[in-house]
Amino acid sequence: MIRLAWRNLTQNPARLLISLGGVSVALVLMLTLDAIFTGMEQRVTAFIDRSGADIFVSQQDVRNMHMASSSLARGQQARVKSVAGVASVTPILYVTNPILAGKDRSLAYIIGVPSDAKAGGPWEIESGREDPGAGGVVLDVGVAAKAGIGLGGEVEILGDTFEVVGLSHGTASMAGSVAFISLDDFADLWQDSDTVSFLLVETAPGEAPEQVAAGIEARVRDVTAMTRQEFARQERKVVRDMSTDILAIMNIVGFLIGLAVMALTVYTGTLSRRAEYGVLKALGARNGKLAATVVWQAVISVSLGFLIALILTSLLTVAAPLASASLRLVIGLPSVAKVVVTSLVIAGVASLLPIWQMARLDPATVFRRR
Amino acid sequence: MLMARRNLGRDRTRLLLNIAGVALAILLILLLTGIREGMFRQITSYLDRTPGSLLVSQGGVENLLSVTSLLPAGATARVQGTRGVESVIPILSQYTILDLHGRKQAAYLIGYVPARGGGPWRLAAGRAPRADDEAVFDRVLAERHDLALGDRVDVMGRTLEVVGLSEGTTSWMTSFFFLRKSAVESLVRLPGATSFLLVTTDEGASVDDVRSRLASLDGVDVHTKGEIAANDRKLFARYFSAPVTLMAAIAALVGALVVGLVIYTATVERQRDFGVLKAIGAPNRSLYLVVVAQSLIASLGGVVAGSVLAIGARAGIMALRPQFLIVLEPADFVLALVVGLGIAMVAGLYPARRIGGLAPAEVFRR
Repeated sequence: MIRLAWRNLTQNPARLLISLGGVSVALVLMLTLDAIFTGMEQRVTAFIDRSGADIFVSQQDVRNMHMASSSLARGQQARVKSVAGVASVTPILYVTNPILAGKDRSLAYIIGVPSDAKAGGPWEIESGREDPGAGGVVLDVGVAAKAGIGLGGEVEILGDTFEVVGLSHGTASMAGSVAFISLDDFADLWQDSDTVSFLLVETAPGEAPEQVAAGIEARVRDVTAMTRQEFARQERKVVRDMSTDILAIMNIVGFLIGLAVMALTVYTGTLSRRAEYGVLKALGARNGKLAATVVWQAVISVSLGFLIALILTSLLTVAAPLASASLRLVIGLPSVAKVVVTSLVIAGVASLLPIWQMARLDPATVFRRR
Repeated sequence: MLMARRNLGRDRTRLLLNIAGVALAILLILLLTGIREGMFRQITSYLDRTPGSLLVSQGGVENLLSVTSLLPAGATARVQGTRGVESVIPILSQYTILDLHGRKQAAYLIGYVPARGGGPWRLAAGRAPRADDEAVFDRVLAERHDLALGDRVDVMGRTLEVVGLSEGTTSWMTSFFFLRKSAVESLVRLPGATSFLLVTTDEGASVDDVRSRLASLDGVDVHTKGEIAANDRKLFARYFSAPVTLMAAIAALVGALVVGLVIYTATVERQRDFGVLKAIGAPNRSLYLVVVAQSLIASLGGVVAGSVLAIGARAGIMALRPQFLIVLEPADFVLALVVGLGIAMVAGLYPARRIGGLAPAEVFRR
C-alpha cells in the first residue's frame, strides 16, 4: 500500500513538487509563527527562570513582577533565612522604568542586586563583569547595541548616570529588557534602605521548594512565597494579558490559515490524481484500498513537507536573532506535536474527501469527469 | 477572454479551489498586517483622540505613557497666559495596578477636568464623573471583570462608583479609566498636581512660534503631539515590533508563495489544453493571453473573496477579543489586489512561456 502510494506520488515529479511546496509553505507558516510566539513568551520569564532562586518571596498577595510593586521590610530577610530548608536568601530591589542611553529610551526591569548575590544577577555575560558594583550597570547586549554604546558607556536610570560595566545575553523580552545595578545604588536612588522588593530563596539540597515555600508563609507574616515555576506561571499570565496576547492571536490566525492551505493543497493534489484512482478502481481495487492509498500519500506528503519546513524554520531560528537581538525563536516539542498531529488529521480528511466522492461513481464516470 | 472563461468554467471545482487558495493567502496577509498596524495605532489612541497640537510635560519627559511627569506649580496658568495659546487641558495620569475580584490588572488612570476635556471621547453607557468618588471605566475592561454601571471598585485605597463606560479606550497593552482630576490629586496625595497640558493654539498662530514661547518656561518640555506619539510608539513597540513585524512578514511571504503556487499549478494542470491550442495553430501570443486572462479571473476572484473573508474575520476577532484593533483600510485592499494580480501574472506566464517554447506533441508527452 505504501509502495503504491509512493509510486503514485512520485510518478509525476512536477506535481509532487507542487504538492510538497504547498504543504511545506503551510507548515513553515505554522511552525515559524509558533516558534516566534514560544520564544517571546519564554523570554518574558527569563529573569525568573534564570534567577537561580527556587522560591520568590514578595509582599503579601504580590504574585508577579510585571507592572507590580512589592515592598518587604529588610528584617524579613532574617526571618525567611531561619525557616527550615532555606539555604540562602538574596534581597533584590525592582522597578520597571525607562533606561536613557543617549537619545535612545527603552523600558527595562531595573534590578538592584547585592554584590554577594547568590541569585538574581545576570546569568549570561557577553563581556565585562557580572557584578555591577557601585555606579555600574549590567545592560542587555541588544539594548546597548541599539543605543550604540558599549562597555564604559553611560546610561541614565532613575535619574542618575551609570557606567556600563557588563553586557548580558538573553535579558530582553517583549516586556522590556533587564538591567542590573547594585542594591545599594538602587536604595540610594529610592531614598529607602529599609525595604526590598523580593527575597530570592535557594533551598537546601533535597528540600522540596513547595514545602519550604509553605513553611515561609506559615512562619513569616505578611509575605507570599511561591516556587519559581509558580511565580513564572503567574508572570506569564499577567504579561499574556497585557502583551503576548497579540502574538497569540497572530499565531492562531496563521495556524488556522496554514491548516486550510494544507487541506486545500492535499485536496487539490488528490483530485488531480483522480484518473490514476479510476484506473485502480477499474482494475478492481476496493474503496478501502483506495482510501488507504490516498491517506498514505497524504502522510508521505505531510512528512516530507514537515522535514522541509523544519529545516527552513530551524534556519530562521538562527538567522532572526542576528537581525534583531530581541528576537528569539524556539521550536518546542509541544508545538511540533501540535502542528504534526493536526496537519496529519486535516490532510487525511482532505485527501479522503475526493476519494469518498469517487467511491460512489463507477470507474468510467471518473474518467469522463476528468 | 471568452476562451479563458470557457476553459475555467469547464472545471468549476478546480476554479473554486484556485480562488479559495488565493483567498486564503489574501486573508492571511490582510489579517496579520492589519493586526500589526492596529497594534501601533492603539499605542497612541489617547493622543490621537484628544484635542490640542502641543503637549507640555515636566522637563526631560518625552513620553506620555509609562513615565511619570509632574509639572512645576503654576505651570498651567503660565502656559494659559502665553501668547498664541487658545486653550489648555490639564491631566494627571499614571499607570495603576487594579485589584479586580482578586485579579491584578494594569490600567492607565487619567484625571481630567470634565469642563475642559481630556476625558473619554465616546461613552458606551452612563455619564462622565460628577463627583470625586465616580469613575468611567473602559467598556472592554469592565466586561472582562464583570463590572457594570453602579458597581463599586477599590482604586488606591478608595472606593469608586462606576458611572460611565467608555468606548475605544482599550488596547492590547492596557485600558484607560477616567476620574475627575481633583479625585486623582487626592488619590496620589498631590493637591494641585498636573502631569501634562494639552495645548490648542490660536487659529492663525504658528504652532512653532507658540512652542518656542512655551519652551522658554522653567521646568517644562514642549513637544508636538506627533513627536510624543512617535516616542510612545518607539518605547512600547520596541520589543513588540520585531516579532510582530516578523510574523506579518512571514505571513506576507507565505501568502505570496501560496498565490504563486496556486496560479502556477492552475496553468501547469491545463498544459494539455494549451497543447490543443498550439496544435490547431494558435500563436504563442494567444496562449499567453488565455493564461493572463485565466490568472486574472482566478486571482481577482481570490482577492475579492479573501478581502470579504478578512472583513468578516476582523469583525469576528474584534467581537471576541475587543482589546485588539485590526486595521483594514482601502489602501490595504488595493495593495492586496495589485500584489495578488502581479504575482498571479508572473506565476501564470512563467510556465506558459515554457509551454510556448515546446512543439504541440511535446506538450502532451509531458
